[in-house]
Amino acid sequence: MKSISLYVNRNSFVHDVDPITKLIYIAFAILVPIIVPSFTISFICVGISLVLLAFAKVLRKTVPVFSFVFLVLITVVIIQGLFKPENETVLFQLGPITMYQEGLLFALTITLRVLTIVSAFMILVLTTKPSELVESLVRKGMSPSIGYMIVSVFQIIPEMMAAVSTITDAQRARGMETEGSFFVRFKAFLPLMGPVVLGALINTKERAMALEVRGFNSQVQKTYLYEEKTYAYSRLIRALLLLAIAGALVWRILS
Amino acid sequence: MNKIVVEGLKYKYPLSETLALDNISFSVKEGEFIGIIGRNSAGKSTLCQAIVGLVPHFYKGAYGGKVLVDGLEVKTHSIADISLKAGMVFQNPFTQVTGSKMTVYEEIAFGLENIGVPRTEMINRIDEVLHLFKIEHVKDHNPFDLSGGQMQRMAIASIIAMKPEIILLDEPTSQLDPGGSEEVFQAVQSLKNQGITILMAEHKMEKVAQYCDKVLLLESGKVVDYDTPEVVFSRNDLDVFGVTAPVYTKVCQALGVKKKGADTYPVTLKEAEAALKEMRR
Repeated sequence: MKSISLYVNRNSFVHDVDPITKLIYIAFAILVPIIVPSFTISFICVGISLVLLAFAKVLRKTVPVFSFVFLVLITVVIIQGLFKPENETVLFQLGPITMYQEGLLFALTITLRVLTIVSAFMILVLTTKPSELVESLVRKGMSPSIGYMIVSVFQIIPEMMAAVSTITDAQRARGMETEGSFFVRFKAFLPLMGPVVLGALINTKERAMALEVRGFNSQVQKTYLYEEKTYAYSRLIRALLLLAIAGALVWRILS
Repeated sequence: MNKIVVEGLKYKYPLSETLALDNISFSVKEGEFIGIIGRNSAGKSTLCQAIVGLVPHFYKGAYGGKVLVDGLEVKTHSIADISLKAGMVFQNPFTQVTGSKMTVYEEIAFGLENIGVPRTEMINRIDEVLHLFKIEHVKDHNPFDLSGGQMQRMAIASIIAMKPEIILLDEPTSQLDPGGSEEVFQAVQSLKNQGITILMAEHKMEKVAQYCDKVLLLESGKVVDYDTPEVVFSRNDLDVFGVTAPVYTKVCQALGVKKKGADTYPVTLKEAEAALKEMRR
């Protein structure tokens, strides 16, 4: 079955780290560069994330995401470099186009912020199963219903897509045109989406009943098939990360 | 001891004009295997759902009478409470897949996690039902990738792993080939031998006749008959209720061969064979 999750199954210590520690790492990688506004710190944060991604052997999987992000960032660089109101110092000129230093520096700050956030999230998304993440959050006290909603999306959406293609085939077999001009496609839209939506509603009702009889709303203390994933050094790592955030805060307040 | 007692049960779905269940009364003893038969929309599924509490808690609607499941009154207890006593397998195996689990193994664990079964016990029970329903070889597959038959067996296994004292099965063999149906009936039979009470809505009459202790014949929400398979299938007005007797019964009926020393026709191959051999002598 096609999965819409980006998780990549590899063997690495990054994969072994529990999801909560990864969440704390995300907080660290986002907060510290904001609290301490220096380029060096931002570079270090991006660097750490990239090294971790490399250790997790998923660096290649990040390429499509980063290239999409860069596409957006290039426009930021161009617009800020050319038109930021505070622009004074001319950096270089290309014909009628003038690039200014202030704008470029500002664009660099934004770029680094985005990169720290994207790379930190990528560690979580690429090396953690969605179900594992949700399960550890449920253990920490998140409502199982919300957890179910999040996890089931990853399976129910591909199932609905499969239903769409089945219905498309069925309607085609009855002679409906589904290809051709925009108008033809538009006309085919309703007879395709009607059954999909109605079917999904009926399925949801039946699934809700099936969940009920399997004790989904039971008040009993839940147990888990798998033992909670713990990484030998996760306490140490968490402590260090939290300490780094606190340290950054203290530095900011004092200076 | 009576495991299930239904007294004067009446039920009407919201927005519906007619009663889906009309004054139904019967009782089931512990360890009995009851077959529920009747034409489509006779009320078989609704009756099953009334015993696990989906009727009236899930649907709401007008409700009268009393259903006692192992002493619990359904009307005053939540579905979660009743689900510890009675488990139900639905018709459509596809919508019983939770969608929150990545493998068949985890899928079966879902119910056990909810009712708080300890881990070692959970693993034992899962291995047991995987073996019982012969789906061990697909335990690491995604539940949605299974064939209809495998999915149906997984759905039954998921409920049986929860070890309810009562199991309701709503056409559990609709997607299975003859071999698969036979396996399911045998698995259910072995559960019955462990003392579990079973109610099954089913259209395969030969199987019902062979395995069930009693048959409940429904027609437009009313109980027409509730007796042993021999008595129910020997009725000569079955087609009025959209039901056909097992083929062995029909043959013996046509030949006028009754069971030895009884006023009923044979309902299984074995009985028919014995009766016909007796006649030839």
